[in-house]
Amino acid sequence: MSETAIGAPAAAERRRAGRRSNRAVFWIAVAVTLLWLFPFYYALVTIFKTGQEYTAGGPLALPASTAPVVANILEAWRRTHMLVGMGNSLLYGVVGAGLAVFVAALASYGLTRLDYRGRSYWFLLIFSGTIFPFQIYLIPLFQGFARTGLLDSRLGMILVYTAICVPFPTLVLKNFMSQIPRDLDEAARMDGCSEWRIFRSIILPNSRGPMIAVFLLQFNWIWNDLIFSMVLTLDESKRSIMNSLMVFQGNYAGTTPNLVVTATLLASVPTLVIFFLLRRYFMQGLALQTSD
Amino acid sequence: MQSSRPKPSPREKAAQRANFLTALCFLAPAVLLVTVFLLVPLIYNVWISFTGWAKFSGIDRFVGVANYSQAFSNPKFFEAAGNTVSWIVASLVLPIGLGLGFALLLRGIRGAEAFKTVFFVPRLLAPTAIGTIWYYVFADNGTLNAMLSGVGLGDWTRSWLYDPLMITPAMIIAHTWQTTGLVMVLLLLGLAALPTEPLEAAQVEGATPFQIFRHIVLPMLLPTLLVVTIISVIAGFTTFDLVWVMGRDYPNRSTLTLAVHQYWETFRSNRWAYGASVAVLIGLIALLITWVQTLLQQKLEDRAK
Repeated sequence: MSETAIGAPAAAERRRAGRRSNRAVFWIAVAVTLLWLFPFYYALVTIFKTGQEYTAGGPLALPASTAPVVANILEAWRRTHMLVGMGNSLLYGVVGAGLAVFVAALASYGLTRLDYRGRSYWFLLIFSGTIFPFQIYLIPLFQGFARTGLLDSRLGMILVYTAICVPFPTLVLKNFMSQIPRDLDEAARMDGCSEWRIFRSIILPNSRGPMIAVFLLQFNWIWNDLIFSMVLTLDESKRSIMNSLMVFQGNYAGTTPNLVVTATLLASVPTLVIFFLLRRYFMQGLALQTSD
Repeated sequence: MQSSRPKPSPREKAAQRANFLTALCFLAPAVLLVTVFLLVPLIYNVWISFTGWAKFSGIDRFVGVANYSQAFSNPKFFEAAGNTVSWIVASLVLPIGLGLGFALLLRGIRGAEAFKTVFFVPRLLAPTAIGTIWYYVFADNGTLNAMLSGVGLGDWTRSWLYDPLMITPAMIIAHTWQTTGLVMVLLLLGLAALPTEPLEAAQVEGATPFQIFRHIVLPMLLPTLLVVTIISVIAGFTTFDLVWVMGRDYPNRSTLTLAVHQYWETFRSNRWAYGASVAVLIGLIALLITWVQTLLQQKLEDRAK
C-alpha cells in the first residue's frame, strides 16, 4: 500500500483542511461552553453581593467586593439550620447507600455463585423496584409509616432510601460477579470454606471497584433527594438537606436571592467535592448505567 | 413446565435444594426490603386508587373507577398531562440531540476533558439547586429580563414564571441544562467503544463526515442511544424537585406536571384516593415507555443477528 505521487499532495491537502476544521470545532466548543457556564456566572457573582447591592445593581453586575460572601454564608447557614440538614443527609446517604450496596452485594452473590432453578425470577423480583416512578410509593409509605411510628423518624428515612437504592446496584454487581471465574470459589468450597467466608474473603474484595462506584451514585441520589423528605418527615430535625432549603420557598421578608443562592451552593458543596476527589469511580459508575 | 425438562437425579435435586436454601439467605435482605418498601406499597397504592380513602380514616368503601373518572373530567389533570407530554417529547429530543452534538463536537479536540467537565457538572447538582438558580434566571427581575433590556429588547421581557405558555419551556431548558452532560458522557463512552476499522475504511474511501455519521456511526451507536433515550425520557417526565422549586410562584402549581399534580392533590389538598389514581396513571405511562423500549431493543437484537 504505497502512496502514489499523485495521492501524496491530496492527502496533505486533506490533513491541512482537517486541521483548519479542527480549530473551528475548538472555537465552537469554547462558545457553547461559555453559554453553558452562564448560570454558574450568575450564581458566582450573586454570592458576593449584599441584598441591597443585588437589587440596585441588577443580577448580572459584578460584585463591588468579595467581603459580603462571609455574611451570606453565615446567614444562609443560620436561616436553613444547615448543620441539621447536612447531618441528616450525611446519615441517610452513608448508611442508606452503604447498606443498599452491601445488601445488593449479598443478593448478587446469591444470584451468581450458586446453581438452582429460578434464579432469574428472583432477580426480576428485586429489579422490579426500578420500573415505577416514585409517585406510586408516596401515599402507601406515608400511611404505612404513620401507622407503624416510622413517620418522621430517621430510621424510616434510612429504610426507604436503602430499599430504593437496592435494585440498581444489584443489577450492576450481579453482572460484575458473573464475570468472576467460578474456579475461585469452587476451590475454596473444596477446602471447606463456608459460603459466607467465600463471599467475604473472595467475592467482596474482588468487587470493590464497582461497589464504590455504585455507592457514590446512590449517595449522590440520596443527598439530592427532595420528595421523600418532603412527604415522610414533618419535623425540622429530621429533614434532609434539600428539604431544609425549602424554608426559602415562601417569600418571607428578607429572603434575598444572594442568601438563597448561597444556601443552594453550600448544600451542593459535598457532592461536588466527592465528585472531584473520586472522579474515576464516579465515571465508572455512570458507565455501568448503559452496559447491561 | 416442570415435566418438559429432563428430570434431575435425586442427588442433583438435593444439591439444588441446598444451594437454593443457602442462596435464599443471601437474597433475603434485598427481597425483604424491596417487597416491604416498594412492592407492597405499589399494590396498596393500586388498591387505594379504587377506594374513597381519606387521610387516616382507614380503608373505606370500594368505589370502582370513580377516582379515575374524576381525573379524566378534571381540567387541571388534563393541563398537567399536556405539560407532561411536552416534557416527554422535549426530553426525547433536547438532551439527546444536544448530548449527541456535544459528544461528536468534543471527540478528539484539544482540552476535551475540560469541556466535558463543564457540561457534566450541572448533573452533580441537586435538581433543587438547579431549580433555584434557574428560577432567578427567569424571575421577573432575573437575569434573562435584565439581559433583554440591556440589549434593547425591553418589549420581550415578561413574567416567564407566571405565564402558562412559558413556564414549561423555561423548566425544560433548566432540565436540559442539567441532563445533557450525562447523555453526552454516556454517548462518548458508547462512541469510544465502537470499532475503528469501518470508520477508517470509510475515511480512506473519501466519505464525508456526515455520510460516515449517518451510515456507520449512527447504526453502531443505536443500542447505546436507545438506553440513554429511555433514561432521559423517564427522568424527564417524573421530574418533581425542579418543577416544584421553579414553579414556586406559579398560581396553579397543580397543573404543572402529573408528578406535581399528584403531590399537590394528595398532600396539599388531601385528596388521597384521587392522588393514588394519578400515581397509577403515571406508573402506567412508565410501563408503556419501558414496554416500547423492550420492543425496540428486541428489534435491534434481531437485526444484529
